[in-house]
Amino acid sequence: MKLTLNNFDEETKNVKKNNKNWIKVGLSTCGIAAGADVAFATIKKVLQENGSDVEVIRTGCAGKCYAEPLVEVKIEGMPQVVYGNVNEEVATKIVQKHVMGKQLINDHIYLVKDA
Amino acid sequence: MWKYKKVILVKDTDTGKETVRFSELFNSALRDRGLDGEVQVIRSADINVYNQGIVVKIIPGNITYSKVEEKDIDLIVRKSIKKEEALKEIQIDPKDKQVRIVLRNCGIIDPENINDYISVDGYKGLKKVLEQNDRDKVIAEIKISGLRGRGGGGFPTWMKWSFAKDQKNDTKFIICNADEGDPGAYMDRSVLEGDPHSVLEGMIIAGFAVGAKKGYFYIRAEYPLAIARVELAIKQAREKGLLGNNILGTQFSFDLEVRLGAGAFVCGEETALIASIEGKRGCPSPRPPYPSISGLWGKPTVINNVETLANISPIMHKGGEWFAEIGTERSKGTKVFALTGKVENSSLIEVPMGITLKEIIYEIGGGVLNNKKIKAVQTGGPSGGVIPEEYFDTSIDYESLQNLGSIMGSGGMIVMDEDDCMVDIAKFYLKFCVDESCGKCAPCRIGGKQMLELLTEISEGKATFEQVDKLKLISKAMQKASLCGLGQTAPNPVLSTLKYFEQEYVDHIKDKKCVSGKCEALFIYEIIQDKCKRCSLCQRNCPVEAIPGDRDKGYAIDQKKCIKCGKCFEVCKFEAVNR
Ligand SMILES: Cc1cc2nc3c(=O)[nH]c(=O)nc-3n(C[C@H](O)[C@H](O)[C@H](O)COP(=O)(O)O)c2cc1C
Ligand code: SF4
Ligand code: SF4
Repeated sequence: MKLTLNNFDEETKNVKKNNKNWIKVGLSTCGIAAGADVAFATIKKVLQENGSDVEVIRTGCAGKCYAEPLVEVKIEGMPQVVYGNVNEEVATKIVQKHVMGKQLINDHIYLVKDA
Repeated sequence: MWKYKKVILVKDTDTGKETVRFSELFNSALRDRGLDGEVQVIRSADINVYNQGIVVKIIPGNITYSKVEEKDIDLIVRKSIKKEEALKEIQIDPKDKQVRIVLRNCGIIDPENINDYISVDGYKGLKKVLEQNDRDKVIAEIKISGLRGRGGGGFPTWMKWSFAKDQKNDTKFIICNADEGDPGAYMDRSVLEGDPHSVLEGMIIAGFAVGAKKGYFYIRAEYPLAIARVELAIKQAREKGLLGNNILGTQFSFDLEVRLGAGAFVCGEETALIASIEGKRGCPSPRPPYPSISGLWGKPTVINNVETLANISPIMHKGGEWFAEIGTERSKGTKVFALTGKVENSSLIEVPMGITLKEIIYEIGGGVLNNKKIKAVQTGGPSGGVIPEEYFDTSIDYESLQNLGSIMGSGGMIVMDEDDCMVDIAKFYLKFCVDESCGKCAPCRIGGKQMLELLTEISEGKATFEQVDKLKLISKAMQKASLCGLGQTAPNPVLSTLKYFEQEYVDHIKDKKCVSGKCEALFIYEIIQDKCKRCSLCQRNCPVEAIPGDRDKGYAIDQKKCIKCGKCFEVCKFEAVNR
């Protein structure tokens, strides 16, 4: 459906499904070079194994190059955090501990967005 | 539900060594008060405050304490955990120094989904522009914003657009310059990969404002992911009626095409870039005429940098006044920098104009890597210069940086420490320019090569002070007589290192010494007898048998035989070899 000046507001009002729970993985050249594609695939796989419907979203680079790969996690009721240096092991932990176990993970938090 | 009610983040922001111990202390204090089931203590990898001792943050509420000592722990638990009180004496209020306009969506939205962009006010700027349907109003708004080109030159964007708009011509073009050839720069790549639609929208608005129907994305071929995401964005925008004929159902039509650059630095120069799109060799040509008057195929052409264009939509959507409130008198808005080199947190940052280098390095960058002594910051890449520590309080804006002998440039920012040799740095950038020179004009082609030879002689300890005078002389000629910006600015790194670090040149010339230990030809390898354990490893590894001696008498390096290969320096396990 093409947008026009007349239908713009109506058509774009609900373009975004407001997911309560999501995981964002920074998948730009810099992130991928650091292994973000592995983190992305691992998170998807382990979520599936756990029967979780948390949405995994691909994003660009959030800027903290020193801590790539970066993964941001929002789970309702919990602080919204950005994990860095997310290798396969940490990616697995993010699902098992954070998403399923509802706890934060040591040594990998680089930013807490106000909860 | 969350397993806990609160979290205490702990981080030793000096050395990192005490993070574990302090988080254990918090854990036991919580256990003592029976709170360990309610509060999780977390060792934070980064707490976004630096060199302030033990830093503790309590979530929710974001109460932050710095320089926390053991004696404070119980008090923090009693006051800030059991009750909601803050300990005023050690509380700090860390402010995020970054302001994100260009990078507003990077890391936040899915760059491959146009709906994600639309959901964060995407294409609202364009919608407003087409509703108002007044080209002069668009340019007036950009004028109010004070936006200047982010590709390096800092030319007022509204003026460029206005020149092109005023040309009476049915065919006009918009070009997005995404050639990004500076060594160490990746700002534009990140924007294209993280938020391609923001650049598209800027181009479409530019097209409307000047009366162009066609635009080109000139992207370097080394950026395959950026190219793929831009092409996808173009396809999605067409499907939504945001590109192509009758955009948003109006009379305005505009379309975009991607052209690949083959990776020559000079092709980022606007006239060379235009020649390259025309299918000619990417060589600069004299200006005037400027592209806004006569550009691509002789038609009026607006050529803007990626970052410049990413600013357009927010300016149209939120207004020029909003933008003009950020920054300094003559430099408005923000600037994206790729902060790299000897800094703890190499990062892609966006800061308001007027911020100081000190704030960037210490409050965003986390300070100098490994606590070494900082020497300078390089901005502007091969066209820029170095700024020594004495000037780290200078405001970052176009004019201040220029007054210091550097330039804003496109956004490379490299931190240099005591291990970086300024002669070597000058040589590195000059060599880059010599390699990348298109050779069309003599001052750059011949002058650059001669300067590089002189610098090489200095770095090898084979020069006299006459060489420095010659460097200065050729610099002047290149600045004045080169055809394009590459040759005109190539001497900048040499001149600015000479200006601020003349002593290092003197060391190389007079004492034949490179104090930073970078210029290999000047190394003298020596064995420090006090540290030597007489293991013979260096002797066995020396390829030219320049290390006589035995385990009884010890070892020494025969300087006449030494070829300065550095093998002994590498193999010694006791740091007994000095250079
Ligand atoms: C050697 C050389 C290389 C350049 N490379 C780039 C580049 O990679 N990207 C860019 O935007 N501008 C580059 N420029 C500047 C462009 O010529 C031009 O000024 C700029 O694209 C204009 O856009 P702006 O007004 O938005 O900054 C370069 C200039 C020179 C002299
Ligand atoms: S200054 Fe250098 S790069 Fe520019 S036209 Fe002359 S030779 Fe070519
Ligand atoms: S390798 Fe080091 S410790 Fe061993 S002999 Fe050589 S200088 Fe001495």
